[in-house]
Amino acid sequence: MTATVAQRAARGFMLPVALILLWQALGMLMHDVKRMPIPSRVLTAAVDLVGSGELPLAIMQSLGRVFGGFAVAALVAIPLGLVMGNVRSVERNLDPLIESFRPIAAIAILPLAILWMGTGTAAAVFIVSYAAFFPLVINTVAGVKRVERNLLQAAATMGVGRATMLRTVVLPGALPSIGVGMRIALGVAWTAIIAAELAVGAKSGGGGSGGVGQMMFVFYAYSVELNRIVVCMIAVGCVAYALDRLLRAALARAMPWTR
Amino acid sequence: MDAVNGAVKLRMDKLAKQFALPNGERTTAVEDFSLDVREGEFMVLVGPSGCGKTTVLNLLAGLDAPTSGVLTIDGRPITGPGADRGVMFQDYALFPWRTVRENVEFGLRYGPAGHGMSADERNRRVTRYVELVHLEQAQAKYPHQLSGGMRQRAALARLMANEPDVLLMDEPLAALDAQTRLVLQDELLRIWGQDRPASERRTVVFITHAIDEAVFLADRVAVMTTNPGRLKTVIDIPLTRPRNDATRARPEFQALYQEIWNLIRAEAYRATVT
Repeated sequence: MTATVAQRAARGFMLPVALILLWQALGMLMHDVKRMPIPSRVLTAAVDLVGSGELPLAIMQSLGRVFGGFAVAALVAIPLGLVMGNVRSVERNLDPLIESFRPIAAIAILPLAILWMGTGTAAAVFIVSYAAFFPLVINTVAGVKRVERNLLQAAATMGVGRATMLRTVVLPGALPSIGVGMRIALGVAWTAIIAAELAVGAKSGGGGSGGVGQMMFVFYAYSVELNRIVVCMIAVGCVAYALDRLLRAALARAMPWTR
Repeated sequence: MDAVNGAVKLRMDKLAKQFALPNGERTTAVEDFSLDVREGEFMVLVGPSGCGKTTVLNLLAGLDAPTSGVLTIDGRPITGPGADRGVMFQDYALFPWRTVRENVEFGLRYGPAGHGMSADERNRRVTRYVELVHLEQAQAKYPHQLSGGMRQRAALARLMANEPDVLLMDEPLAALDAQTRLVLQDELLRIWGQDRPASERRTVVFITHAIDEAVFLADRVAVMTTNPGRLKTVIDIPLTRPRNDATRARPEFQALYQEIWNLIRAEAYRATVT
Protein backbone atom coordinates (compact mmCIF):
# COMPACT_ATOMS: atom_id res chain seq x y z
CA MET A 1 0.00 0.00 0.00
CA THR A 2 1.35 3.42 -0.87
CA ALA A 3 0.83 6.32 1.49
CA THR A 4 -0.14 9.71 0.06
CA VAL A 5 2.19 12.64 0.46
CA ALA A 6 -0.05 14.11 3.13
CA GLN A 7 -0.12 10.85 5.06
CA ARG A 8 3.63 10.55 4.96
CA ALA A 9 4.08 14.18 6.06
CA ALA A 10 1.62 13.65 8.92
CA ARG A 11 3.55 10.58 10.06
CA GLY A 12 6.82 12.56 10.04
CA PHE A 13 5.31 15.34 12.13
CA MET A 14 3.55 13.14 14.64
CA LEU A 15 6.40 12.80 17.15
CA PRO A 16 7.47 16.50 17.17
CA VAL A 17 3.86 17.61 17.56
CA ALA A 18 3.34 15.16 20.41
CA LEU A 19 6.47 16.38 22.17
CA ILE A 20 5.44 20.02 21.84
CA LEU A 21 1.99 19.24 23.25
CA LEU A 22 3.61 17.40 26.17
CA TRP A 23 5.93 20.34 26.77
CA GLN A 24 2.97 22.73 26.71
CA ALA A 25 1.05 20.60 29.22
CA LEU A 26 4.00 20.27 31.59
CA GLY A 27 4.69 23.99 31.38
CA MET A 28 1.10 24.87 32.26
CA LEU A 29 1.27 22.54 35.29
CA MET A 30 4.29 24.41 36.68
CA HIS A 31 3.63 27.23 39.09
CA ASP A 32 6.73 29.29 38.45
CA VAL A 33 6.01 30.17 34.83
CA LYS A 34 8.93 32.56 34.73
CA ARG A 35 11.40 29.65 34.92
CA MET A 36 9.70 27.53 32.28
CA PRO A 37 9.33 28.50 28.64
CA ILE A 38 6.16 27.06 27.09
CA PRO A 39 5.36 26.65 23.40
CA SER A 40 2.40 29.05 23.19
CA ARG A 41 4.44 31.88 24.72
CA VAL A 42 7.46 31.03 22.63
CA LEU A 43 5.26 31.46 19.56
CA THR A 44 4.00 34.85 20.77
CA ALA A 45 7.57 35.90 21.53
CA ALA A 46 8.67 34.78 18.06
CA VAL A 47 5.96 36.84 16.38
CA ASP A 48 7.03 39.84 18.49
CA LEU A 49 10.75 39.52 17.81
CA VAL A 50 10.38 38.92 14.09
CA GLY A 51 7.66 41.55 13.69
CA SER A 52 9.68 44.24 15.42
CA GLY A 53 12.63 43.46 13.18
CA GLU A 54 14.90 42.86 16.16
CA LEU A 55 15.57 39.20 15.45
CA PRO A 56 16.13 39.56 11.67
CA LEU A 57 18.56 42.43 12.36
CA ALA A 58 20.47 40.37 14.97
CA ILE A 59 20.66 37.42 12.58
CA MET A 60 22.01 39.66 9.83
CA GLN A 61 24.66 41.05 12.20
CA SER A 62 25.76 37.56 13.23
CA LEU A 63 25.74 36.32 9.63
CA GLY A 64 27.89 39.23 8.50
CA ARG A 65 30.57 38.24 11.02
CA VAL A 66 30.32 34.59 10.05
CA PHE A 67 30.77 35.33 6.37
CA GLY A 68 33.66 37.71 7.04
CA GLY A 69 35.45 35.26 9.30
CA PHE A 70 34.73 32.32 7.04
CA ALA A 71 36.14 34.16 4.02
CA VAL A 72 39.33 35.06 5.89
CA ALA A 73 39.72 31.44 7.04
CA ALA A 74 39.14 30.07 3.54
CA LEU A 75 41.64 32.47 1.99
CA VAL A 76 44.32 31.32 4.44
CA ALA A 77 43.43 27.66 5.01
CA ILE A 78 42.78 26.46 1.45
CA PRO A 79 46.02 27.72 -0.15
CA LEU A 80 47.92 26.58 2.95
CA GLY A 81 46.30 23.14 2.75
CA LEU A 82 47.20 22.86 -0.94
CA VAL A 83 50.84 23.62 -0.18
CA MET A 84 50.89 21.31 2.87
CA GLY A 85 49.39 18.45 0.87
CA ASN A 86 51.99 18.90 -1.87
CA VAL A 87 55.19 19.71 -0.03
CA ARG A 88 56.16 17.17 2.59
CA SER A 89 58.53 19.43 4.53
CA VAL A 90 55.88 22.14 4.95
CA GLU A 91 53.40 19.58 6.23
CA ARG A 92 55.92 18.06 8.65
CA ASN A 93 56.58 21.50 10.13
CA LEU A 94 53.04 22.80 10.34
CA ASP A 95 51.11 19.66 11.26
CA PRO A 96 52.23 19.49 14.94
CA LEU A 97 51.49 23.19 15.35
CA ILE A 98 48.02 22.92 13.85
CA GLU A 99 47.14 19.74 15.70
CA SER A 100 48.17 21.19 19.06
CA PHE A 101 46.10 24.35 18.55
CA ARG A 102 43.09 22.45 17.25
CA PRO A 103 41.80 21.21 20.65
CA ILE A 104 41.79 24.79 21.97
CA ALA A 105 38.18 25.83 21.43
CA ALA A 106 37.52 29.12 19.65
CA ILE A 107 35.76 30.40 22.74
CA ALA A 108 38.94 29.83 24.78
CA ILE A 109 40.76 32.26 22.51
CA LEU A 110 38.14 34.92 23.20
CA PRO A 111 39.84 36.55 26.22
CA LEU A 112 42.94 37.24 24.13
CA ALA A 113 40.87 38.40 21.17
CA ILE A 114 38.94 40.87 23.33
CA LEU A 115 42.07 42.17 25.01
CA TRP A 116 43.79 42.71 21.67
CA MET A 117 40.91 43.78 19.46
CA GLY A 118 38.14 44.94 21.77
CA THR A 119 34.55 43.76 21.75
CA GLY A 120 33.77 44.81 18.22
CA THR A 121 33.57 43.09 14.89
CA ALA A 122 37.33 42.52 14.60
CA ALA A 123 37.40 40.15 17.58
CA ALA A 124 34.27 38.35 16.36
CA VAL A 125 35.72 37.83 12.87
CA PHE A 126 38.95 36.60 14.46
CA ILE A 127 37.12 34.01 16.56
CA VAL A 128 35.11 32.81 13.58
CA SER A 129 38.16 32.46 11.35
CA TYR A 130 40.01 30.62 14.07
CA ALA A 131 37.15 28.12 14.41
CA ALA A 132 36.70 27.69 10.66
CA PHE A 133 40.42 27.39 9.91
CA PHE A 134 40.93 23.86 11.25
CA PRO A 135 38.26 21.90 9.40
CA LEU A 136 39.19 23.79 6.22
CA VAL A 137 42.91 23.15 6.37
CA ILE A 138 42.61 19.52 7.50
CA ASN A 139 40.12 18.60 4.79
CA THR A 140 42.12 20.42 2.12
CA VAL A 141 45.26 18.47 3.01
CA ALA A 142 43.28 15.20 3.04
CA GLY A 143 41.74 16.09 -0.32
CA VAL A 144 45.11 16.80 -1.93
CA LYS A 145 46.40 13.45 -0.72
CA ARG A 146 43.40 11.66 -2.12
CA VAL A 147 43.97 12.96 -5.65
CA GLU A 148 44.65 9.85 -7.68
CA ARG A 149 48.28 9.41 -8.61
CA ASN A 150 47.50 8.28 -12.13
CA LEU A 151 45.72 11.58 -12.84
CA LEU A 152 48.87 13.48 -11.89
CA GLN A 153 50.89 11.09 -14.02
CA ALA A 154 48.50 11.56 -16.93
CA ALA A 155 48.99 15.34 -16.74
CA ALA A 156 52.76 14.89 -16.44
CA THR A 157 52.89 12.73 -19.57
CA MET A 158 51.11 15.53 -21.43
CA GLY A 159 53.96 17.84 -20.45
CA VAL A 160 51.90 19.91 -18.00
CA GLY A 161 54.03 21.90 -15.52
CA ARG A 162 53.74 21.70 -11.75
CA ALA A 163 52.03 25.03 -11.19
CA THR A 164 49.44 24.33 -13.88
CA MET A 165 48.94 20.86 -12.48
CA LEU A 166 48.17 22.30 -9.07
CA ARG A 167 45.39 24.39 -10.59
CA THR A 168 44.03 21.91 -13.14
CA VAL A 169 44.42 18.54 -11.37
CA VAL A 170 45.16 18.91 -7.65
CA LEU A 171 42.59 21.61 -6.88
CA PRO A 172 39.62 20.02 -8.69
CA GLY A 173 40.67 16.59 -7.39
CA ALA A 174 40.66 17.89 -3.82
CA LEU A 175 37.49 19.94 -4.23
CA PRO A 176 34.97 17.36 -2.95
CA SER A 177 36.99 17.08 0.26
CA ILE A 178 37.42 20.86 0.50
CA GLY A 179 33.63 21.10 0.14
CA VAL A 180 33.15 18.82 3.15
CA GLY A 181 35.62 21.01 5.04
CA MET A 182 33.59 24.08 4.10
CA ARG A 183 30.38 22.56 5.41
CA ILE A 184 31.96 21.62 8.74
CA ALA A 185 33.71 24.99 8.95
CA LEU A 186 30.55 26.97 8.31
CA GLY A 187 28.80 24.99 11.03
CA VAL A 188 31.48 25.60 13.65
CA ALA A 189 31.78 29.25 12.56
CA TRP A 190 28.10 29.76 13.28
CA THR A 191 28.41 27.98 16.63
CA ALA A 192 31.46 30.07 17.50
CA ILE A 193 29.88 33.41 16.69
CA ILE A 194 26.83 32.78 18.88
CA ALA A 195 29.09 31.74 21.76
CA ALA A 196 31.41 34.70 21.19
CA GLU A 197 28.54 37.20 21.13
CA LEU A 198 27.17 35.75 24.34
CA ALA A 199 30.56 36.18 26.01
CA VAL A 200 31.18 39.63 24.56
CA GLY A 201 27.79 40.62 25.88
CA ALA A 202 28.99 39.77 29.37
CA LYS A 203 32.04 41.93 29.04
CA SER A 204 30.53 45.07 27.59
CA GLY A 205 27.52 44.95 29.89
CA GLY A 206 24.90 44.19 27.26
CA GLY A 207 25.34 47.32 25.27
CA GLY A 208 27.78 45.75 22.86
CA SER A 209 27.79 45.09 19.21
CA GLY A 210 24.61 43.16 18.50
CA GLY A 211 24.00 39.76 17.00
CA VAL A 212 21.88 36.79 18.07
CA GLY A 213 24.23 35.75 20.86
CA GLN A 214 24.19 39.22 22.32
CA MET A 215 20.43 39.27 22.13
CA MET A 216 20.28 36.02 24.09
CA PHE A 217 22.59 37.49 26.69
CA VAL A 218 20.29 40.45 27.21
CA PHE A 219 17.24 38.18 27.62
CA TYR A 220 19.16 36.09 30.11
CA ALA A 221 21.01 38.66 32.20
CA TYR A 222 18.65 41.66 32.20
CA SER A 223 15.07 40.96 31.32
CA VAL A 224 15.04 37.20 32.07
CA GLU A 225 12.76 36.18 29.22
CA LEU A 226 13.11 32.45 28.71
CA ASN A 227 10.56 32.32 25.92
CA ARG A 228 12.60 34.80 23.93
CA ILE A 229 15.80 32.84 24.55
CA VAL A 230 14.10 29.76 23.14
CA VAL A 231 13.07 31.78 20.08
CA CYS A 232 16.74 32.68 19.58
CA MET A 233 17.77 29.05 19.99
CA ILE A 234 15.30 27.95 17.36
CA ALA A 235 16.46 30.74 15.05
CA VAL A 236 20.08 29.65 15.48
CA GLY A 237 19.14 26.11 14.48
CA CYS A 238 17.08 27.20 11.48
CA VAL A 239 19.82 29.52 10.20
CA ALA A 240 22.43 26.76 10.55
CA TYR A 241 20.24 24.41 8.55
CA ALA A 242 19.59 27.01 5.85
CA LEU A 243 23.30 27.85 5.60
CA ASP A 244 24.19 24.20 5.09
CA ARG A 245 21.52 23.69 2.42
CA LEU A 246 22.70 26.79 0.55
CA LEU A 247 26.33 25.73 0.73
CA ARG A 248 25.48 22.22 -0.45
CA ALA A 249 23.58 23.64 -3.40
CA ALA A 250 26.49 25.94 -4.26
CA LEU A 251 28.97 23.04 -4.03
CA ALA A 252 26.80 20.84 -6.23
CA ARG A 253 26.77 23.65 -8.80
CA ALA A 254 30.54 24.04 -8.57
CA MET A 255 31.04 20.28 -9.02
CA PRO A 256 28.65 19.19 -11.75
CA TRP A 257 30.61 15.96 -12.25
CA THR A 258 29.60 14.67 -8.81
CA ARG A 259 25.91 14.69 -9.69
CA MET B 1 54.18 -6.48 -45.97
CA ASP B 2 55.74 -3.07 -45.75
CA ALA B 3 58.59 -3.67 -43.36
CA VAL B 4 59.32 -0.98 -40.80
CA ASN B 5 62.75 0.31 -41.74
CA GLY B 6 62.65 3.60 -39.88
CA ALA B 7 65.39 4.89 -37.63
CA VAL B 8 65.53 3.67 -34.06
CA LYS B 9 63.04 5.71 -32.06
CA LEU B 10 63.30 4.13 -28.64
CA ARG B 11 66.39 2.28 -27.44
CA MET B 12 66.39 0.12 -24.36
CA ASP B 13 69.82 -1.29 -23.56
CA LYS B 14 70.40 -3.69 -20.65
CA LEU B 15 67.66 -2.05 -18.61
CA ALA B 16 67.16 -3.19 -15.05
CA LYS B 17 64.64 -2.01 -12.50
CA GLN B 18 64.55 -2.99 -8.86
CA PHE B 19 61.99 -1.98 -6.28
CA ALA B 20 62.32 -1.86 -2.52
CA LEU B 21 59.74 -4.02 -0.79
CA PRO B 22 58.04 -2.85 2.42
CA ASN B 23 60.14 -5.39 4.38
CA GLY B 24 63.34 -3.76 3.16
CA GLU B 25 64.26 -6.42 0.61
CA ARG B 26 64.68 -5.55 -3.02
CA THR B 27 62.85 -7.22 -5.84
CA THR B 28 63.92 -7.23 -9.47
CA ALA B 29 61.04 -6.35 -11.75
CA VAL B 30 63.02 -6.19 -15.00
CA GLU B 31 66.52 -7.43 -15.79
CA ASP B 32 68.84 -7.27 -18.79
CA PHE B 33 66.11 -5.88 -21.04
CA SER B 34 67.32 -4.74 -24.45
CA LEU B 35 64.98 -3.78 -27.27
CA ASP B 36 64.94 -1.20 -30.06
CA VAL B 37 61.66 0.21 -31.33
CA ARG B 38 61.82 1.79 -34.79
CA GLU B 39 60.03 4.88 -35.94
CA GLY B 40 56.48 4.11 -37.11
CA GLU B 41 56.59 0.64 -35.63
CA PHE B 42 53.75 -1.02 -33.72
CA MET B 43 55.55 -2.95 -30.99
CA VAL B 44 53.55 -5.16 -28.66
CA LEU B 45 54.84 -6.53 -25.37
CA VAL B 46 53.22 -9.77 -24.22
CA GLY B 47 53.94 -12.01 -21.28
CA PRO B 48 52.36 -13.52 -18.20
CA SER B 49 51.26 -11.19 -15.44
CA GLY B 50 54.14 -10.07 -13.26
CA CYS B 51 56.65 -10.16 -16.09
CA GLY B 52 57.42 -6.44 -15.84
CA LYS B 53 55.52 -5.18 -18.92
CA THR B 54 54.11 -2.21 -17.08
CA THR B 55 57.50 -1.47 -15.53
CA VAL B 56 59.03 -1.22 -19.01
CA LEU B 57 56.25 1.10 -20.14
CA ASN B 58 56.63 3.32 -17.07
CA LEU B 59 60.35 3.56 -17.74
CA LEU B 60 59.66 4.61 -21.34
CA ALA B 61 57.10 7.14 -20.11
CA GLY B 62 59.64 8.56 -17.68
CA LEU B 63 57.32 7.91 -14.72
CA ASP B 64 60.00 5.66 -13.22
CA ALA B 65 63.80 5.69 -13.54
CA PRO B 66 65.75 2.52 -14.36
CA THR B 67 68.12 1.15 -11.72
CA SER B 68 70.68 0.60 -14.46
CA GLY B 69 70.90 0.54 -18.23
CA VAL B 70 70.44 3.01 -21.07
CA LEU B 71 67.12 4.38 -22.21
CA THR B 72 66.87 6.87 -25.09
CA ILE B 73 64.37 8.50 -27.42
CA ASP B 74 65.85 9.74 -30.72
CA GLY B 75 69.25 9.19 -29.12
CA ARG B 76 68.54 11.47 -26.15
CA PRO B 77 68.29 9.96 -22.67
CA ILE B 78 64.82 9.79 -21.11
CA THR B 79 64.90 11.60 -17.76
CA GLY B 80 61.22 12.19 -17.03
CA PRO B 81 57.75 12.36 -18.51
CA GLY B 82 57.32 14.47 -21.63
CA ALA B 83 54.74 15.40 -24.22
CA ASP B 84 56.68 13.52 -26.92
CA ARG B 85 55.54 10.26 -25.31
CA GLY B 86 51.79 10.02 -24.74
CA VAL B 87 50.52 7.39 -22.34
CA MET B 88 47.23 5.58 -22.25
CA PHE B 89 46.78 4.12 -18.80
CA GLN B 90 45.17 0.80 -18.03
CA ASP B 91 42.41 2.49 -16.06
CA TYR B 92 42.24 5.38 -18.58
CA ALA B 93 43.04 8.10 -16.00
CA LEU B 94 40.39 10.44 -17.38
CA PHE B 95 39.85 13.60 -15.32
CA PRO B 96 36.48 13.00 -13.60
CA TRP B 97 35.76 16.75 -13.40
CA ARG B 98 36.14 17.32 -17.11
CA THR B 99 33.73 16.34 -19.85
CA VAL B 100 34.86 14.07 -22.66
CA ARG B 101 35.59 17.08 -24.81
CA GLU B 102 37.49 18.88 -22.05
CA ASN B 103 39.53 15.74 -21.39
CA VAL B 104 40.50 15.51 -25.05
CA GLU B 105 41.38 19.19 -24.98
CA PHE B 106 43.49 18.98 -21.80
CA GLY B 107 46.96 18.42 -23.26
CA LEU B 108 46.43 21.02 -25.97
CA ARG B 109 45.28 23.58 -23.47
CA TYR B 110 47.77 23.07 -20.66
CA GLY B 111 50.67 21.21 -22.26
CA PRO B 112 53.17 22.01 -24.99
CA ALA B 113 51.14 20.10 -27.61
CA GLY B 114 48.90 23.13 -28.12
CA HIS B 115 51.53 25.87 -27.98
CA GLY B 116 51.01 28.48 -30.64
CA MET B 117 47.57 27.13 -31.40
CA SER B 118 44.61 29.49 -31.56
CA ALA B 119 41.45 28.57 -29.69
CA ASP B 120 39.87 27.92 -33.08
CA GLU B 121 42.55 25.51 -34.23
CA ARG B 122 42.40 23.76 -30.90
CA ASN B 123 38.66 23.33 -31.18
CA ARG B 124 38.95 21.90 -34.67
CA ARG B 125 41.61 19.43 -33.52
CA VAL B 126 39.48 18.32 -30.56
CA THR B 127 36.41 17.92 -32.76
CA ARG B 128 38.39 15.84 -35.23
CA TYR B 129 39.56 13.35 -32.62
CA VAL B 130 36.22 13.23 -30.83
CA GLU B 131 34.68 12.30 -34.19
CA LEU B 132 37.43 9.82 -34.92
CA VAL B 133 36.46 7.77 -31.88
CA HIS B 134 32.73 8.35 -32.50
CA LEU B 135 32.02 10.21 -29.28
CA GLU B 136 30.20 13.21 -30.78
CA GLN B 137 27.01 12.29 -28.92
CA ALA B 138 28.82 11.91 -25.60
CA GLN B 139 31.25 14.82 -25.73
CA ALA B 140 29.45 16.88 -23.08
CA LYS B 141 29.25 13.97 -20.66
CA TYR B 142 31.49 13.32 -17.68
CA PRO B 143 33.57 10.11 -17.53
CA HIS B 144 31.38 8.50 -14.88
CA GLN B 145 28.42 8.76 -17.22
CA LEU B 146 30.14 6.69 -19.90
CA SER B 147 30.36 2.95 -20.48
CA GLY B 148 33.76 1.26 -20.21
CA GLY B 149 34.14 1.18 -23.99
CA MET B 150 33.32 4.87 -24.33
CA ARG B 151 35.78 5.79 -21.60
CA GLN B 152 38.42 3.82 -23.38
CA ARG B 153 37.71 5.70 -26.62
CA ALA B 154 37.77 9.03 -24.79
CA ALA B 155 41.21 8.17 -23.39
CA LEU B 156 42.34 7.18 -26.86
CA ALA B 157 41.11 10.49 -28.30
CA ARG B 158 42.87 12.41 -25.54
CA LEU B 159 46.09 10.57 -26.28
CA MET B 160 45.80 11.06 -30.04
CA ALA B 161 44.78 14.74 -29.88
CA ASN B 162 48.20 15.61 -28.51
CA GLU B 163 49.72 13.87 -31.52
CA PRO B 164 52.74 12.59 -29.56
CA ASP B 165 55.63 10.98 -31.45
CA VAL B 166 55.33 7.84 -29.36
CA LEU B 167 52.18 6.23 -28.00
CA LEU B 168 52.62 4.07 -24.91
CA MET B 169 49.55 1.97 -24.15
CA ASP B 170 49.16 -0.23 -21.07
CA GLU B 171 46.55 -2.93 -21.66
CA PRO B 172 44.11 -0.30 -22.88
CA LEU B 173 41.53 -2.85 -24.00
CA ALA B 174 41.84 -5.24 -21.07
CA ALA B 175 38.73 -4.10 -19.25
CA LEU B 176 36.42 -4.45 -22.23
CA ASP B 177 34.09 -7.24 -23.30
CA ALA B 178 35.20 -9.41 -26.22
CA GLN B 179 33.05 -7.75 -28.91
CA THR B 180 33.93 -4.17 -28.00
CA ARG B 181 37.53 -5.23 -27.91
CA LEU B 182 37.52 -6.50 -31.50
CA VAL B 183 35.85 -3.31 -32.74
CA LEU B 184 38.35 -1.13 -30.92
CA GLN B 185 41.32 -3.11 -32.21
CA ASP B 186 40.16 -2.22 -35.73
CA GLU B 187 39.66 1.41 -34.73
CA LEU B 188 43.04 1.57 -33.10
CA LEU B 189 44.80 0.39 -36.25
CA ARG B 190 42.83 2.88 -38.34
CA ILE B 191 43.75 5.75 -36.02
CA TRP B 192 47.38 4.63 -35.86
CA GLY B 193 47.39 4.89 -39.65
CA GLN B 194 47.60 1.37 -41.03
CA ASP B 195 46.14 2.62 -44.31
CA ARG B 196 48.93 5.14 -44.70
CA PRO B 197 52.54 4.46 -45.66
CA ALA B 198 54.76 3.35 -42.76
CA SER B 199 56.66 6.64 -42.74
CA GLU B 200 53.50 8.53 -41.71
CA ARG B 201 52.67 6.29 -38.77
CA ARG B 202 53.43 7.00 -35.15
CA THR B 203 55.52 4.75 -32.96
CA VAL B 204 53.50 2.55 -30.63
CA VAL B 205 54.48 0.42 -27.65
CA PHE B 206 51.43 -1.57 -26.63
CA ILE B 207 51.08 -3.93 -23.68
CA THR B 208 48.66 -6.82 -23.62
CA HIS B 209 48.37 -10.28 -22.18
CA ALA B 210 46.05 -11.35 -25.01
CA ILE B 211 48.05 -13.15 -27.68
CA ASP B 212 45.43 -12.77 -30.44
CA GLU B 213 45.40 -9.03 -29.82
CA ALA B 214 49.19 -8.91 -30.03
CA VAL B 215 49.30 -10.78 -33.33
CA PHE B 216 46.50 -8.71 -34.84
CA LEU B 217 48.02 -5.33 -33.99
CA ALA B 218 51.79 -5.73 -34.02
CA ASP B 219 54.62 -5.32 -36.48
CA ARG B 220 56.71 -7.17 -33.93
CA VAL B 221 55.82 -8.92 -30.70
CA ALA B 222 58.28 -8.86 -27.81
CA VAL B 223 57.65 -11.90 -25.61
CA MET B 224 58.62 -11.50 -21.97
CA THR B 225 59.20 -14.07 -19.25
CA THR B 226 58.69 -13.67 -15.57
CA ASN B 227 60.78 -13.87 -12.38
CA PRO B 228 62.60 -11.69 -13.10
CA GLY B 229 61.10 -9.94 -16.12
CA ARG B 230 63.28 -10.54 -19.14
CA LEU B 231 62.89 -10.38 -22.86
CA LYS B 232 62.54 -13.92 -24.17
CA THR B 233 62.37 -13.28 -27.89
CA VAL B 234 61.04 -10.90 -30.51
CA ILE B 235 58.75 -12.27 -33.21
CA ASP B 236 58.05 -10.61 -36.55
CA ILE B 237 54.40 -10.45 -37.55
CA PRO B 238 54.52 -10.43 -41.36
CA LEU B 239 50.74 -10.18 -41.85
CA THR B 240 49.85 -7.69 -44.59
CA ARG B 241 48.22 -4.36 -43.74
CA PRO B 242 45.55 -3.14 -43.66
CA ARG B 243 44.43 -5.95 -41.41
CA ASN B 244 40.77 -6.75 -40.80
CA ASP B 245 38.45 -9.56 -39.72
CA ALA B 246 39.71 -11.74 -42.54
CA THR B 247 43.21 -11.46 -41.06
CA ARG B 248 42.09 -13.22 -37.90
CA ALA B 249 40.87 -16.22 -39.89
CA ARG B 250 44.07 -16.76 -41.84
CA PRO B 251 46.28 -19.80 -41.14
CA GLU B 252 49.36 -17.57 -40.66
CA PHE B 253 47.48 -15.75 -37.90
CA GLN B 254 46.75 -19.04 -36.18
CA ALA B 255 50.34 -20.22 -36.62
CA LEU B 256 51.75 -17.03 -35.07
CA TYR B 257 49.26 -17.28 -32.23
CA GLN B 258 50.36 -20.84 -31.58
CA GLU B 259 54.05 -19.94 -31.76
CA ILE B 260 53.72 -17.24 -29.12
CA TRP B 261 51.46 -19.34 -26.94
CA ASN B 262 54.07 -22.14 -27.01
CA LEU B 263 56.65 -19.65 -25.80
CA ILE B 264 54.72 -18.54 -22.74
CA ARG B 265 52.54 -21.58 -22.05
CA ALA B 266 54.83 -23.25 -19.54
CA GLU B 267 55.08 -20.11 -17.45
CA ALA B 268 51.42 -19.28 -17.74
CA TYR B 269 50.55 -22.72 -16.36
CA ARG B 270 53.09 -22.35 -13.59
CA ALA B 271 51.65 -18.96 -12.67
CA THR B 272 48.16 -20.44 -12.55
CA VAL B 273 49.12 -23.44 -10.44
CA THR B 274 51.20 -21.63 -7.83
